[in-house]
Amino acid sequence: MEAAKMASPKSAPKDAQVMAQILKDMGITEYEPRVINQMLEFAYRYVTTILEDAKIYSSHAKKSSVDADDVRLAIQCRTDQAFTSPPPRDFLLDIARQKNQTPLPLIKPYSGPRLPPDRYCLTAPNYRLKSLQKKVSSTAGRITVPRLSVGAVSSRPSTPTLGAPSAQAVSVAAKVGAPVSLAGQRFTVQIPSSQPAAKSATPTTPTVQNVLINPSLIGPKNILITTNMVPPGAAEPAPLKRKHEDDDDYDAL
Amino acid sequence: DRQTLVAVLQFLRRSNLRESEEILRREARLLGDDLGGNVATVATSSPGVAAVAAVPPGKGEARGDCGINPSSRREPGKREPVCCSQPPGLSVMLGRKGAVVVEDQPDVSAVLSAYNQQGDPTLYEEYYSGLKHFIECSLDCHRAELSQLFYPLFVHMYLELVYNQHESEAKSFFERFHGDQECYYQDDLRVLSSLTKKEHMKGNETMLDFRTSKFVLRISRDSYQLLKRHLQEKQNNQIWNIVQEHLYIDIFDGMPRSKQQIDAMVGSLAGEAKREANKAKVFFGLLKEPEFDVPLDDEDEEGENEEGKPKKKKPKKDNVGSKSKKQDPNAPPQNRIPLPELKDSDKLDKVMNMKEAARRVRLGPECLPSICFYTFLNAYQGLTAVDITDDSSMIVGGFADSTVRVWSVTPKKLRSVKTAADLSLIDKESDDVLERIMDEKTASELKILYGHSGPVYGTSFSPDRNYLLSCSEDGTVRLWSLQTFTCLVGYKGHNYPVWDTQFSPYGYYFVSGGHDRVARLWATDHYQPLRIFAGHLADVTCTRFHPNSNYIATGSADRTIRLWDVLNGNCVRIFTGHKGPIHSLAFSPNGRFLATGATDGRVLLWDIGHGLMVGELKGHTDTVYALRFSRDGEILASGSMDNTVRLWDAVKAFEDLETDDFTTATGHINLPENSQDLLLGTYMTKSTPVVHLHFTRRNLLLAAGAYSSQ
Repeated sequence: MEAAKMASPKSAPKDAQVMAQILKDMGITEYEPRVINQMLEFAYRYVTTILEDAKIYSSHAKKSSVDADDVRLAIQCRTDQAFTSPPPRDFLLDIARQKNQTPLPLIKPYSGPRLPPDRYCLTAPNYRLKSLQKKVSSTAGRITVPRLSVGAVSSRPSTPTLGAPSAQAVSVAAKVGAPVSLAGQRFTVQIPSSQPAAKSATPTTPTVQNVLINPSLIGPKNILITTNMVPPGAAEPAPLKRKHEDDDDYDAL
Repeated sequence: DRQTLVAVLQFLRRSNLRESEEILRREARLLGDDLGGNVATVATSSPGVAAVAAVPPGKGEARGDCGINPSSRREPGKREPVCCSQPPGLSVMLGRKGAVVVEDQPDVSAVLSAYNQQGDPTLYEEYYSGLKHFIECSLDCHRAELSQLFYPLFVHMYLELVYNQHESEAKSFFERFHGDQECYYQDDLRVLSSLTKKEHMKGNETMLDFRTSKFVLRISRDSYQLLKRHLQEKQNNQIWNIVQEHLYIDIFDGMPRSKQQIDAMVGSLAGEAKREANKAKVFFGLLKEPEFDVPLDDEDEEGENEEGKPKKKKPKKDNVGSKSKKQDPNAPPQNRIPLPELKDSDKLDKVMNMKEAARRVRLGPECLPSICFYTFLNAYQGLTAVDITDDSSMIVGGFADSTVRVWSVTPKKLRSVKTAADLSLIDKESDDVLERIMDEKTASELKILYGHSGPVYGTSFSPDRNYLLSCSEDGTVRLWSLQTFTCLVGYKGHNYPVWDTQFSPYGYYFVSGGHDRVARLWATDHYQPLRIFAGHLADVTCTRFHPNSNYIATGSADRTIRLWDVLNGNCVRIFTGHKGPIHSLAFSPNGRFLATGATDGRVLLWDIGHGLMVGELKGHTDTVYALRFSRDGEILASGSMDNTVRLWDAVKAFEDLETDDFTTATGHINLPENSQDLLLGTYMTKSTPVVHLHFTRRNLLLAAGAYSSQ
């Protein structure tokens, strides 16, 4: 690389000289020296791809050697694949006309952060935690977290199932029964409504609304919470309780 | 019909169906004599030979006759015969009827193309030089106007030759005449010189658009009559057909324009703008500011009391509100487009704004602003976009390594909201809960946002400082939250590099423009654009909202600026005159004027209401990348790649505008050469191109750029 950079035009290889001339013809006068190397590399890669494709086409047509038609076909196919160009003007005018006919939608007042539906946002957690223990404990005062599919920002309704007899243990149920809408998300989690267990939850403040899902919601409590779950932080008496899950209940993510 | 017959005959001949050919020819002869002549000539050009080779120059003589015939058969202005000549599967010019014939017999169509297009390719040079001779011999007053014909004709004829695969003719045509064109078309010509085959044209949308759109010329009636008379003589019919085909001549009554006047207005890829294009009514007035109710006044009063100015501000605020009681006829109705309501935080912001406005420095030729320059060091030519919030508290840089970096300009650090776990621990009832939700542990002056997969070409803060937009070469526009410093949404719509984006002055809407030649209007809560503004011939490089959020200005690489109506997506203004791609746009604070800067180094000033160019500021020697009006519109600051910031007197520039009937009717202007008078100051940086300019609320000028060591 260094040698190429320091090579004067006279001692540069012929290819490089040709490339420099092409750049000059196209009016590009200022460029870093490595641009020539990059262009040469691109040219080499492009030509070999085309020629390989042409070889394949010619052997498919049972010809003895590659001829111009094969090359032309190869170029045509590659252009459609690799070098797409923007849509043509009439198409653009057409879709523009369609789009511009619909009136501008009215804006709902007081609706918090105005974001598209969750599936179009990048606000979902993109990972899930695996639990160490599979056993579900359901003593009072413990929360069994309903199994909710992590990152349920698809429109699939998440169907959680509760850990075994823990009908009473779900303190979050009450919360979830009436889905707390955080900034207009629209999931309903189907959890059989059950007696909330020792719930000392103070509802987390609406200020959380502006904090859209960050993975720290999972936090030290290791509770997997999806977007419409109010994190049962205060209600959690055992801070390090890991969540329980059965793997087969989860949809493949 | 005749063409179909000829084609069929040719096909029969090629397939060696001699008898059928004879029968058909005999019957066809009954239809017309010259058809037979044509058929004979067609037959003599040996069948089965590829199109280009089948047009040997030696046959020029016979061709000459046939050259006239098709054109005389053709009704003027009818595009169909030309459509026949285009090989199938390409471009919008394909006519229905021609297509049917052509599809089966590509060779024939190519042979036909020699007839159906405007004359013989080998004669193009003669046509062009004939016209050139005529124009050069015409009267001085007409010559300037008629010279406008050279460039579009040259390009269209060249493209025609290339498209019909007459490569050698195209090359010699180019060689001979490209030197005659105006200097400001040199870039286009360089691009053209590399287009020698039809395949080259396929990927170049701009050239295809150019071929299919009509180049607009504005010529006075006298000059036009002269031209028409000359071209309609028999031997010049070809040029006349080409002119009718590809040019739109907007005729006006009055004195022919001088070269200087013409030079000011031409330069774009689409010619000039038709006068009707700039006649639509534009609501350039500002929206009324809402008046504030008492509680906020109290808060403000407190502040004033501290400074020992009790209660003086209150009546003043009322005045501001009541000044605009009468509806400005040029202002759009308040509910023309839906705008988000003002939240309490917005109202507080407005109060702050007014307080700052009261302390604003009044600028003028006697009182120039101080300039504070923010230099990005160690950016290695990677700084591609800069934005500063309205209250000048944060600055964002978009970089070629796809990162977006936000700095705090004030001593107050950037804080993000605490994690949910921590949030549950705070006292929600306390008064300063809004401070408590912020995380002190991770406070820093710089926050880096990762997410794009290509250089970030445009950034924009939202007016309420909650969001940040960034657009990138990867085709997406990303919305970032400035409270959590994470990415919220990626808006996918352009599938090609997006060159610029901007939030509306009221928030909620934003506009983006990119390589796909359209600008799109989005709302933050819709994942698809609300409006698509299509019409430019080349990339949209710069997009700006009007202060009343009802219009969007887009500057493009086709050297025009278009003003679009947000309500219905119509293009209401087209401004031509720049000689290079436009890189900066600025609306004046009163909404009446637009300043634009391009790679030609000129700053042009436009009156939006009348649709006229009202000023030209010459001085910069390189691309003007940044333009900004001061807060009250008295000074226009321009920053350029030539490492300078220049200040211009905006009040004087807009002072006396000729808006008499002739000007408004024809769009002609006589621009005074007053750039030197208007220039108030030139400030040079060592070697830092100026990428962004921003007037603080007190009229201090902030500038930003990346230090480049060469």
